[in-house]
Amino acid sequence: MKLLRYALLLLAALSFIYPFVWMISASLSSEQGIGSLTLLPVGLTISNYTTVFERIPLGRAFLNSLFVALVTTGLVLVLGAMVGYALARLRFRGRDLIFYLIIFTMTLPFQITLIPNYITMVKLGWVDTYFALIVPFVMNSLAVLLFRQAFASLPQALIDAARIDGCGELRIIFQILLPNIVPTVLTITILTFMGLWNEALWPLIVIRDESTMTMPQMVTLFSVGGRADAQLGVKIAAAVMLALPILVVYLFFQKHFIRSMASSGLKD
Amino acid sequence: MAEVKLVHVAKAYENGPRVIRNATITVQDREFLVLVGPSGCGKSTLLRMIAGLEDITDGDLLIDGKRMNDVPPKDRDIAMVFQNYALYPHMTVYENMAFGLKLAGLPKDDIRQRVSRAAQLLEIDALLDRKPKDMSGGQRQRVAIGRAIVRNPKVFLFDEPLSNLDAKLRVQTRIELQKLHRELNATIIYVTHDQVEAMTLGDRIVVLRDGDVVQQDTPINLYNQPATQFVAGFIGTPPMNFVPGRLSETGPLYFTSTGGQVQIDLSNSQPAARLQAHRGKPVTFGIRAEHLSEQPPAAQSVHEQALAVEAVENMGNETLVYCPIDTGQLIARLPAGYVASFGQPIRLFWNLDKAHFFDAQTGQAI
Ligand SMILES: Nc1ncnc2c1ncn2[C@@H]1O[C@H](COP(=O)(O)OP(=O)(O)OP(=O)(O)O)[C@@H](O)[C@H]1O
Ligand SMILES: [Mg+2]
Repeated sequence: MKLLRYALLLLAALSFIYPFVWMISASLSSEQGIGSLTLLPVGLTISNYTTVFERIPLGRAFLNSLFVALVTTGLVLVLGAMVGYALARLRFRGRDLIFYLIIFTMTLPFQITLIPNYITMVKLGWVDTYFALIVPFVMNSLAVLLFRQAFASLPQALIDAARIDGCGELRIIFQILLPNIVPTVLTITILTFMGLWNEALWPLIVIRDESTMTMPQMVTLFSVGGRADAQLGVKIAAAVMLALPILVVYLFFQKHFIRSMASSGLKD
Repeated sequence: MAEVKLVHVAKAYENGPRVIRNATITVQDREFLVLVGPSGCGKSTLLRMIAGLEDITDGDLLIDGKRMNDVPPKDRDIAMVFQNYALYPHMTVYENMAFGLKLAGLPKDDIRQRVSRAAQLLEIDALLDRKPKDMSGGQRQRVAIGRAIVRNPKVFLFDEPLSNLDAKLRVQTRIELQKLHRELNATIIYVTHDQVEAMTLGDRIVVLRDGDVVQQDTPINLYNQPATQFVAGFIGTPPMNFVPGRLSETGPLYFTSTGGQVQIDLSNSQPAARLQAHRGKPVTFGIRAEHLSEQPPAAQSVHEQALAVEAVENMGNETLVYCPIDTGQLIARLPAGYVASFGQPIRLFWNLDKAHFFDAQTGQAI
């Protein structure tokens, strides 16, 4: 019975992991070897990677991506926490209406807002700037929702005690409450960071200047544009470069994730 | 010097009814004042208004003669201890106690000194590096009190601080709170729904009901001269015995219970003069368990009646005897030696000098 369970889990795990393994080994294979569905590289070579770096400014794009993703994630956390706190803990007129409006925006597919957003960027003169990559993403309704739920679950007395100790609202949010909802903060961080890192469509629309391009945009242009010379290995190598940072971030947070779950858990 | 004055204070949560209607209370300097009342009567609301955590809808709050309605909590020179302790979970005990002082901009040495003095007083010096989740309820409670003490405030506010502790720890902490009050020489306003806590801790007790102050007085006076039937029933264990009935309209002054089982001759009792105005009207007769006895008491007027015995609770130091009557039951507090013989009626002497009468309509004492 136990054996069967392990076998099933192993099968599932393998089916998830195999494409990644193939991707990496394919990126290290010579162009002729890619066709085979193997685990190990055929005709081991790193020429695919050197080609990528020769053809496109991937280093610059990596820094752009990092900058955009970090700044935006930071802003999403700060603004999301503030809005979520207000919606969960402050009493003011129209609070519920605002909340429902925010929820409503979540139901809109992004295609609907794509064109209006683009026009806004043009009017603001933000095309080809970092503003176009950052500003439209800093208010994240999912982050607001998650923060609101997390703040609502904390006891009011915690806030009362902080007020008596002399905290203002900002200090209450960031110094008293946030440290007690670390799992939520990590969830939002990971979701936002990954979403931003992988975003290719929006940069393709608002950025034409190569020095402002992000990695997914660059890789996409590289793969579907002519510069890869239709070489599959080179494209895959670019994709690996794109996925690598995410993998690192995820592995890093994974540890924190499990630890914070274990310590905040069900105790009292 | 810290005197807290509530003048015609009222509170309505937005769009809601008034949960505090008109409270006028003066807390003297260094007084231990207890706010007591059943759940939902507005005790916490009142305390939170004093703390500055809720707006005051109407009326004035004065601390040392200064109007405090619009002063933020941190500038009121108060400290509060919460029912669920409200310690910051991510900070150590030391950080919890030091946090408010740090924000107030005190020098580090000063903070360290204050925290360690409070920790010694409360015997939690060994716990300073722990996080709240690694401590027992009693220890957390001490830290919460410590966090209040280090601020050296004019007024301490306690909101049911003992209700999360087990019975034994509650008694112990109660005694320590008394000691602490003497040592700190501070004004304390203390909320509880437990009348035993109120009686044992308070210099003075304010009884609240449905947002109104029903009576405020010393514990002894509340016990002996309750202003309403509600207070009489709320203060004291077991609660005062009540017998609804009516006073005779003419002839000798008699009280007759609704069913007629209890008939008391009041003609030469102490309360007789006060009762004249209520002749012929419905009143509630009240008598405490200790004023029903097996032996005739040394009193001006005594009523004597034989009653069936339904149940007996032997407490060791005393015995509570439950007697059913037509309008409910009577509880008598008898000496420990009493041996029940069920099926045999017990002859009880009622000390009418200690009896209370309440207007059946308004509940006011007569
Ligand atoms: N934030 C709030 N908004 C609206 N009504 C409230 C709020 N807080 C309390 N109330 C109402 O005010 C009344 C008094 O509440 P309060 O918490 O002061 O009672 P309490 O005497 O402290 O009761 P307990 O012994 O249960 O703590 C209750 O009817 C309650 O429903
Ligand atoms: Mg309360």
